[in-house]
Amino acid sequence: MKTQVASSIRAHARPCRRGRRLAAAAVGALVLLIASFSKTNAAAPGKKTAAELWALQPVIRPEVPTGFPNAANPIDAFVGAQYRRLGVQPVGPASKSALLRRVTLDLTGLPPTLAEQADFLKDEAPDAYEKVVDRLLASEQHAARYARHWLDVLRYADADDQMVAAPGIYLWRDWVIRALNEDVPYDEFVRAQLTGYRSRARTQISATGFRFRTEPRPDDLFALGFLARGAVGREGKDDRELAITAVETVSTAFMGLTVGCAKCHDHMYDPIAQKDFYAMKALFDPLISRKVLLGTPEELFQIGKAQGEAARRKAALEGPINALAAPYKEKLYQDRLAMLPPEVRAIMVKPEQERSVAEQKIADDYYPIVRIDTDKLAEVMPPDVKAKFKELQKQLDAIGPAAGRRGGGGVPAFWTVELDKDRLRETTYILTSGDPERPELKHPVAPGWPLAPEKLDFREGRLETFSDWLTAPENPLFARVAVNRLWQWHFGEGLMKSVSDFGALGGTPSNPALLDWLAAEFVRRGFSMKAMHRLMVTSETYKLASTAPAELLAANTARDPANQCLWRFRLQRLAAEPIWDSLLTLAGTLDLTVGGPSMDLGGGNDARAKAGGGRRNAAGGAGKPKNRRAVYITRGYSTSREVMPAFLTAFDVDDGRAPCPLRTQTVTAPQSLFLMNSPEVDDAAKKFAARLEQAAAGDLSAAVVLGYRLALARPPSPQEAAVGREFLAGEAGRLPQFAWLLLNLDEFLYVR
Amino acid sequence: MKPHPLYPCGRIARRQFLHQMAGGFTGLALGALWAEAGELTAPSASRVAGPHFRPRAKAVIFLFMCGGVSHLDTFDPKDNKWAGKLIDAVGFGDNQAEMRRPVIPCRRTFTRYGQSGIPVSDWFPHVGGVADELAVVRSLWCQEGNHFPAVIETCTGHRGRAFDHPTLGSWVSYALGSANRNLPTFVNLGRPSSPVQLTGGYLGASVAATPFQPGATPIPNLHPPTGGGGAAERDRQMAALAKLNAEFREDYALNSDLIARAKAYELAGRMQLSAPAVVDFSREPKHVQDLYGIGQSATDDFGRQLLLARRLVESGVRFVQICHAGGGNGGWDAHGNIESHAPLCRATDQPIAGLIRDLRQRGMLDDTLVVWSSEFGRTPWSQNTTGRDHNPKGYTCWLAGGGVKGGTIHGATDEVGYQAVENRHYYSDLHATILHQLGLDHQRMEVTVLGRPMRLVEEGGGPIREILDAAAT
Repeated sequence: MKTQVASSIRAHARPCRRGRRLAAAAVGALVLLIASFSKTNAAAPGKKTAAELWALQPVIRPEVPTGFPNAANPIDAFVGAQYRRLGVQPVGPASKSALLRRVTLDLTGLPPTLAEQADFLKDEAPDAYEKVVDRLLASEQHAARYARHWLDVLRYADADDQMVAAPGIYLWRDWVIRALNEDVPYDEFVRAQLTGYRSRARTQISATGFRFRTEPRPDDLFALGFLARGAVGREGKDDRELAITAVETVSTAFMGLTVGCAKCHDHMYDPIAQKDFYAMKALFDPLISRKVLLGTPEELFQIGKAQGEAARRKAALEGPINALAAPYKEKLYQDRLAMLPPEVRAIMVKPEQERSVAEQKIADDYYPIVRIDTDKLAEVMPPDVKAKFKELQKQLDAIGPAAGRRGGGGVPAFWTVELDKDRLRETTYILTSGDPERPELKHPVAPGWPLAPEKLDFREGRLETFSDWLTAPENPLFARVAVNRLWQWHFGEGLMKSVSDFGALGGTPSNPALLDWLAAEFVRRGFSMKAMHRLMVTSETYKLASTAPAELLAANTARDPANQCLWRFRLQRLAAEPIWDSLLTLAGTLDLTVGGPSMDLGGGNDARAKAGGGRRNAAGGAGKPKNRRAVYITRGYSTSREVMPAFLTAFDVDDGRAPCPLRTQTVTAPQSLFLMNSPEVDDAAKKFAARLEQAAAGDLSAAVVLGYRLALARPPSPQEAAVGREFLAGEAGRLPQFAWLLLNLDEFLYVR
Repeated sequence: MKPHPLYPCGRIARRQFLHQMAGGFTGLALGALWAEAGELTAPSASRVAGPHFRPRAKAVIFLFMCGGVSHLDTFDPKDNKWAGKLIDAVGFGDNQAEMRRPVIPCRRTFTRYGQSGIPVSDWFPHVGGVADELAVVRSLWCQEGNHFPAVIETCTGHRGRAFDHPTLGSWVSYALGSANRNLPTFVNLGRPSSPVQLTGGYLGASVAATPFQPGATPIPNLHPPTGGGGAAERDRQMAALAKLNAEFREDYALNSDLIARAKAYELAGRMQLSAPAVVDFSREPKHVQDLYGIGQSATDDFGRQLLLARRLVESGVRFVQICHAGGGNGGWDAHGNIESHAPLCRATDQPIAGLIRDLRQRGMLDDTLVVWSSEFGRTPWSQNTTGRDHNPKGYTCWLAGGGVKGGTIHGATDEVGYQAVENRHYYSDLHATILHQLGLDHQRMEVTVLGRPMRLVEEGGGPIREILDAAAT
């Protein structure tokens, strides 16, 4: 079996058309990889072996199809070849104004300004469009849009039930935003989030031959928020979910494999055994989350001092309180002891250090019975003692909890991860049903991962070794999965539709040659995401119109009904964030500051809060800014309160509990009600109208045109202009209602 | 249904899912309101196909007391012979050690009501007055002993949130669809303990609960903000909007999302008309309002919610869930002093009895199932207080109307009221019973989410047939 598979790979790697050959090393690695699979594969019916899965085959840069003299961009040649094959005719290019709105919303999530529209429309240079693309990619607003795409995949959340890293997690989000703005190469982007180091070189050697660890970039500390986000603390103890979350996220996000299915059983369709899941988990098992205080030394000294003073003042009061309460406490305590069975009583009266472990457990169990709280004490005191006792208690309470008992005392904190030496020595076992309480002691697993080479060398560290393998240019999944996501974010659908599952269930890509070419090109360009964005959005394919004359539409639809080969651009509904950002842009109130703590708009909606007597929306906090870009809106999940504002939920934003490779798109009545009646839209419409009124200076026809340009980046058609003027009926006072119309137009919500 | 490649581990594209379900979920209807507004564009999917067998109830009013009601002080009387004694509470909660706790006395007096003689405590005298309508199940149990986990278990039938399981009402909404095109299928009133009580989960947002509240604005953003120029102005706006959308809609005539969007606006408009009418009590005669205790400070809030529930059911809403004292651990959580139940009982007693009487006199009780429940009961003992701890091992719920045999007591707890010992019913049996009365077979209520069959009812013994009206089943 082994040799058969290996020879088939070698056959596959035979010189293809123009004599390229797989690097011998890569073939070797792949043979190893498949060898390690064939052992575990007691092939279930329908289950693919590694050799059968296209996505695991090496990326061999395909030749750009010839015969497309006008295709300066290779993407268009690959797409053109598919047009030919299917016999479809692409529609013509989009209008300049439609294209500008499309690319601006795509690359920055914001509508184009009037000046940007004017500049582009009058620029007749052949590279006018490329200049726009370069400007947008250089804008620091670019990453506010693309970080949000990545954060969906990487399951960012500000709150997730008992998530340990919640305070300060926004610094990870901000790290992602900065990394994308700086165009940090994708392999470095991923390595930094897995290891805290961008570079593969994590050690240095001194002149005297002493090897030491290099200091990582200080801000890459925040990249580790990616791993810390998975830590869950229940009742003060680590629930050991970090590793499980990490396996599920890393495998889907970066490998396009649904390894998570193997948590409970061998994967039904893909060559992933249950032990692979736990092997991968073992990579992350030694990690624990650790809090880092981000204060200046001076701030930390101040807090320490304040805590010390509070403790001293407390101690001064506690003496008299205890003295006062002692006789009553003793009496109550004896009463309680008398209630206990004699054997328990015997344990309780023993000093703590003399109790055995079992006895201590019993003592802890009975602690609630012998515990005496202050209310109970006060009940049994005579009135004068009680008054004095209460007064002292009041003074004690006034000092408050030892300022910031949990540590920070108001200084910002961030949770990172670190290796725990004890855990590093622990053995990882397969867990029954993924339950940490049910390790299968007969099934220990060594650290590893699906598709890993057979012999692993962990001298650099488990995650370092893994991430070096993962981000290697030869890893066929790494680049394929990433370029496919970028494609999806530009074109609305991946070339491989199931963007997080390149396994057997994921199907095959609609244009395999193009996907492989893009993957190879991504590697060739040093994993620059901005280079790939530029390549994709400057293709003629991206610039196609989204409409077609009826005859062409009918002919193409007959041959390619789902528009798989992109004979026209897909009409796309704006995601929640660009809707929010567009509303505030039109209102003229959008704050474009990059980074900073999340903006809590209060979860749920008014109805829910009020129905329960409503103190929930207090979370919104008065006076806090509510006009920042939507990427900064708090999101997440809690069992006890709605975290997400109803607006985000209504427009299909996930809560970040699971990686979200593709948002569902719904069309529902609450969306319409939000756009028709919400205070947010009402406010935006009024401010938008005020801008129109001021700019048009009494000329309502000009106001109609301006409104269209701002909202839709195009002038109205004569018919639309007439309807607008008729609606206004010469009254500037009706401009808010007109602004409302623009915000409720289908076209406002869609990118054509 | 075939596994969906996009969401291989439980997540699934809602629309895709619903489309597939239309052909795959035997004999079930998919006419839920918001689905109608656009998620379902395939005509076959929005046609009602009817339930599995002849339903006994058309609608459910599900009263959920958040925090854990003491069965011992309400519907499951025990004599006080154990009071003051320490008893074993082995394996209770997360405590595996041998453990003894002091039983506290019950200070309630119980009266046997009606022909059936069902004993009800002096905290629920009005409910006692309708005892002959009730089927009291005294032997419910669930596994989770803390609030959020138990709420999740009792509303979704599953422990934990590893999968995005939908809540009971969403399953009903999903299976039966709406009987009124202008109102949601599943409405929630009152603040829940957890958002999970409202979730549509993998069945989609379209079947999730729509939170209503009594008052002029039952749904968020239902009305235009004030100062907008009123209904005439809005009509003008809508007319202009249609004209301005025309060119765009013509360009993309085949796009189903745009068609759905137009429908969603129409529906939003219909809801603006119908939803306020449902919450408008001005035509309800005083004697009816009095029945619910509306106008008395203790009972006004809950009374309004229950009257609204009746009006919603009258208008075709299938499932009305009313969460009482929700938020946080829930108001019924009585560790410190069991007397904290007293005001909650006062607030709910008359409205509940009023609802049952009102439904009866309107002839609606026969096909409206009223259920009263809580995530768990409370222990016979205290934690060194005069209150009671959580008790998932044995507690009470009751049902009325909708084909249930009134005047029945079923099941029993042990002599202190700790564990269910006779005719034990896992909470899922209550779910199965509710589904059964709606004409739904819990075993056929199965959807496949990526190769993994998912159900509301996974365990337990099915419907509690002993409490069902024989003539009706």
